[in-house]
Amino acid sequence: MSGKNNASVGSRLLDLVRSNAVPIMFIIICAIFIPMSGLSNSYLINEIVTRMGRNLFLVLCLLFPIMAGMGLNFAMTLGAMGAELAIIFVADLQIWGIPGVVLAMILSIPFSAVLGWICGNILNMAKGREMITGYILNFFMGNGVYMMVVLYIMGSIIPIAHASIMLPRGYGIRNTVSLLHMRQCLDDLLAIRVKGVKIPVLTFILIGLLCLFIVWFRRTKLGQDMRAVGQDMEVARAAGIKVDRTRLISIIMSTVFAGFGMVIYLQNMGNLPTYTGHSQIGMFCIAALLIGGASVEKASIGNAFLGVILFHLMFIVAPGAGAYITEDTMVGEYFRVFLSYGVITVALIMYEAKKRMVKSKAGQELAEAQVRAGKEAAK
Amino acid sequence: MRSKRRMLFPALTVLILVVIAAWMLVIGRGHEIYLDNKTLEGYQGQDYKAFERVVVTVKDKQVAKLGKRERGAAIWIGQDFKMTLEITEKKGDEPVVKEVSIKLPYDMDGIIINLPAYLAGLPEEAWLTEFVPAPEEPEEEELPGEGDVFGMEGDLGLEGELDAGDM
Repeated sequence: MSGKNNASVGSRLLDLVRSNAVPIMFIIICAIFIPMSGLSNSYLINEIVTRMGRNLFLVLCLLFPIMAGMGLNFAMTLGAMGAELAIIFVADLQIWGIPGVVLAMILSIPFSAVLGWICGNILNMAKGREMITGYILNFFMGNGVYMMVVLYIMGSIIPIAHASIMLPRGYGIRNTVSLLHMRQCLDDLLAIRVKGVKIPVLTFILIGLLCLFIVWFRRTKLGQDMRAVGQDMEVARAAGIKVDRTRLISIIMSTVFAGFGMVIYLQNMGNLPTYTGHSQIGMFCIAALLIGGASVEKASIGNAFLGVILFHLMFIVAPGAGAYITEDTMVGEYFRVFLSYGVITVALIMYEAKKRMVKSKAGQELAEAQVRAGKEAAK
Repeated sequence: MRSKRRMLFPALTVLILVVIAAWMLVIGRGHEIYLDNKTLEGYQGQDYKAFERVVVTVKDKQVAKLGKRERGAAIWIGQDFKMTLEITEKKGDEPVVKEVSIKLPYDMDGIIINLPAYLAGLPEEAWLTEFVPAPEEPEEEELPGEGDVFGMEGDLGLEGELDAGDM
């Protein structure tokens, strides 16, 4: 009896390890790297808290498309672009501080919503291939449309008043737009210090509100519809759910929230890298979510929190650890980029392998059942 | 009735957002304010002498300690600029503290305020001027999509030039 119990505990433990392989792997990596990096605990905590405030909102916005079965929204970058356009206008209007942040968030809504609508419609035409389509769409919009608007149309057709943000040639926006008067205004407003660690309370309140919204939204009719669509599109359609509309809404919501998240991110950074700001955002947010134990079809708020902590902890300690191991600081720098891309690859491979395993297991069970039924019929 | 109600909610949301945005535009306008402690000469035939020393405090933070012919700077969000001045008119005088509130013009980014002229109660044209930054030397910026992004150095990646002999 106890042997049976031990076996079931062992298999349960194995299942637990198997289903949380990615976060466990990163916890081990971080545990090894932290002492190697030589960074103090207070420094690490300070950095992690800052990066949580900066990135969590962006990572959380990835949950909506996953809920609707659309996988990881690589096109969340479109929301980031919408926010960047809004920030450029706010910088040109010289609106500073908290009003600047609020105005940028409001202005980002139409940009993000329109981009999200375009993206959602395209993804509806590419059902089953949403991630790769989103990824390529992100290139098309980011390296094509966005760059054309910011580099050529702004200043020539769209009026830009301030020379400080415009290129010397008279049109186009500079490589970097200073957000000095907006820098960390949200983080500093209700900030408290606990043993030297600055906690940006207001930013965390906003993140908390988004979490509450997600929890509430899951229970609404639309949230239930999204989950139904995510589980099985055909069954959802048969149940009278407008599948395409539901998927479109999930992408628009994700893009609009990504816009808000990008404004929070940029106010923390204090400057806008006009042409590169959005390019890595999607990749890093997706990597963080996957490290937190999420998969293409299942993600939770807990995954987002754990992922941001682990991913950024690795990001902070990797250069130091790399330098310690190889005595070359550049290796650490490459190492963290390698890990962030690698984790996406590994997680996607693991997801696909698991999916195939489940499928083949189901096929085997079906075949066995058919053989059994055949034997019984022969008897 | 139901469709009207369904339309009302988004319309109301948009309206609220527009109102908030407009409000932010008004209360969030940032200005750079330059405070001059310089003699204003010959305004309507009269000179307004610079003070011996002026200590400027904005939002409980000392931003400038100005001697004669000196300039200080402060940043301000909104149009109602408030500051506290601790003025020592002449050497050996006791400093006098004054609370000052100035309505700033919305359309100016940088504003120069001449303190002696302002405190003498002169009209706005005498103490307020727009700060126009000196034109900068245009600097070259490497923009995305410009230059040799693929590292081909103009030869499309081919080593050496092709000529008929290679064919």
